Amino acid sequence: MSSNSPETSRRASNRRGIARLGTRLDSDSLNASKLDSRAALYRYYLCPLSNGTPGDGTLERPWPSLADVLRDIGRRHGGDAPSVGKLAGYDRVEICAINGPGDEPPPGKKPRYAFYVDPLGTSDEEGGGTALAPWPDLEAALAGVARLDAAGGLPLQIGEHLRLSVREVFSATPIDRRKRRHETVAKSVFLLMTLLLVIPLIAILAHLTVKAWPVLTASFVFENPKNNMTAGGVWAPLVGTFYLVFFSLLAAAPIGVLAGVYLNEYARDNWFTRIVNLAVVNLAGVPSIVHALFGVGAFVLFAGMGESVLAAAFTLAVMTLPVIITSTKEALASVPMAFREACWNMGASRWQTIRTIVLPNSISGILTGVILQVSRAAGETAPILFTGAAFFVNVPNKGLGYFFPYALDKSCMALSYHLHVMLTQVKGASPEQIAAGEGIPLEHLQYGTAVVLIGLVLAVNSVSIGLRVYLRSHKKW
Amino acid sequence: MVSMGSVGIEIEGLSVDYAGKPALRDVSLAIPPNEIFGIIGPANSGKTTLLKCINRTIDFVTAANMSGTVRVGGQDVRDVANVYQLRRRIGMVFPLPVGLPMTIYDNVAYGPRMAGLRHRGELDSLVEKCLRQSALWDEVKDRLNMLGTKLSGGQQQRLTLARALSLKPDILCLDEFSIAIDPVTTMKIEEVLLELRSQMTIVLVTNLVQQARRLASRTAFLNGSRIVEYGETAAIFTKPEHQITYDYVTGNIG
Repeated sequence: MSSNSPETSRRASNRRGIARLGTRLDSDSLNASKLDSRAALYRYYLCPLSNGTPGDGTLERPWPSLADVLRDIGRRHGGDAPSVGKLAGYDRVEICAINGPGDEPPPGKKPRYAFYVDPLGTSDEEGGGTALAPWPDLEAALAGVARLDAAGGLPLQIGEHLRLSVREVFSATPIDRRKRRHETVAKSVFLLMTLLLVIPLIAILAHLTVKAWPVLTASFVFENPKNNMTAGGVWAPLVGTFYLVFFSLLAAAPIGVLAGVYLNEYARDNWFTRIVNLAVVNLAGVPSIVHALFGVGAFVLFAGMGESVLAAAFTLAVMTLPVIITSTKEALASVPMAFREACWNMGASRWQTIRTIVLPNSISGILTGVILQVSRAAGETAPILFTGAAFFVNVPNKGLGYFFPYALDKSCMALSYHLHVMLTQVKGASPEQIAAGEGIPLEHLQYGTAVVLIGLVLAVNSVSIGLRVYLRSHKKW
Repeated sequence: MVSMGSVGIEIEGLSVDYAGKPALRDVSLAIPPNEIFGIIGPANSGKTTLLKCINRTIDFVTAANMSGTVRVGGQDVRDVANVYQLRRRIGMVFPLPVGLPMTIYDNVAYGPRMAGLRHRGELDSLVEKCLRQSALWDEVKDRLNMLGTKLSGGQQQRLTLARALSLKPDILCLDEFSIAIDPVTTMKIEEVLLELRSQMTIVLVTNLVQQARRLASRTAFLNGSRIVEYGETAAIFTKPEHQITYDYVTGNIG
């Protein structure tokens, strides 16, 4: 095989074919085959005007007649020892009539004659080689073309070409390729959207971290705010957030989980159940500021709690309750019904079934739902705004009071509200204070608070994700 | 729990509908004790519903209405003082194998434990006995702590059978138990059933008419929610009273 031959290798000729033929060569359905990198295109040339000078089918040395080309193709691609390679898949062979050696015909023309080879084709050897009656193999095809040629049925004008296409059933069809192309496009679009989703998160995290970098030390987390909140850290608000989250979950988790168990395991499908389910869905959709107003009315005023940790925690509990109910129901519903039926058939009661089969196999899912509500409760500002969040609380800097600074009937600081305060209410340290080491630039405090808040949320979510991974790896069926 | 060993089932005028859609219409059957009673019939003819009425798990189906009487051992199932006790006396095996998500041992010990049996030694011997009865012991005796759900389909179905036997039931209901398992396992279980016949009444619902022919002493043919006819298996298969029964058992209709 000489390296300057156009069909040195399938790969070379393929590359060449694509480059030379562009996309307009075939406008029929086989057009798509160029997408398949494994489909090769072989080109042979004949020059009827060369007066019988033998050649090798290249552009520079074309064959004098179609019969010569066909014989050459048989030698190169057919028989037991093809010198170039068997035709397979969607390979094609084109035979072009040219004016003289080196006279490339203009590209982009449809073939004058198109023939097909299909190993599983039903046609006999007398078939015309059309798309509907393809020849079964290359030998039959070459013989068929030669026969048609001998009968004078295949006059090729200069610049025209004849094409022989292989169609193997077990190769991808043009339709398959179109599907694959659509699949690629769809996948790319979805992937792009997913990436767009990640970009804001990374941008926010990067921005916050860079801006807050100077204050991001352990002392920022573990120190209380001081000097009229121009210095110190976020310990008091952080502990306040823990207080609120803890007491809100203490109220919401048992109610939500037990209600979820009732709704999924016991409730029959009647008007009462439907009303409850509707209420749950709608409660989940209520804006948090409306929850805040409800909290003021119900807990602060009506129940007489005043603005306090308890009132704020209960408001958060009301807000998180519907989501805990829903996630509990989903976790329970993921336990196959067949398990319950098997237990009932063994004479187990509903509660025995729930206790021994349903809950043990859904507890991780339930916990995941509950934990996700921790981060939601920690991040919300509106529900605690009027129900128990304080601008500033003077808390002890050491002793037990450092860890448990708040009374349940008094208001407390909270990270989310503290951030709001730092952004809108606090003046910040003067340059002199900063120079004297008595203050920290306001911007640093703001970003530091935001980083601690978002870090808390991400940490809680990570626990939830970890739990889910654990759950998946320990799935028992 | 005392096994009486001779508990029959009488069904009189049983009708069931699911939210108005009839599943059983005026079914009356007498299933004598200590024999295999075959129930055959095409899909949607009410075979499974019939079984659910016998152990009253029909209660768990919302929108199901049941009328007529089902008597197990002479007692109306709707009047039993303790429905859980009733279900324990009736072992159930459904078409698809259900290994509970617990160990093989716990699977078999589940029913007795729920019934209050705690003694480890008793449980051990019971588990072994039931697994032997269901032809599974030799395959799992070295890995009783493996999850039941990790067994193959055929093994899980035998585990389901072992679980059903764990409460020493008076009645064993099998609902197309063999559709998810291979012929060899099926033959093993069929042999087990023939042995168990002396100890309990077996109700065998099956899509394989030849299975009913092989095993059942009596067979009932259900079609379109009604009992077409029932009687000695030999009679049902050779000279049934109704043409449709003949067509069904000879495979002319499916």
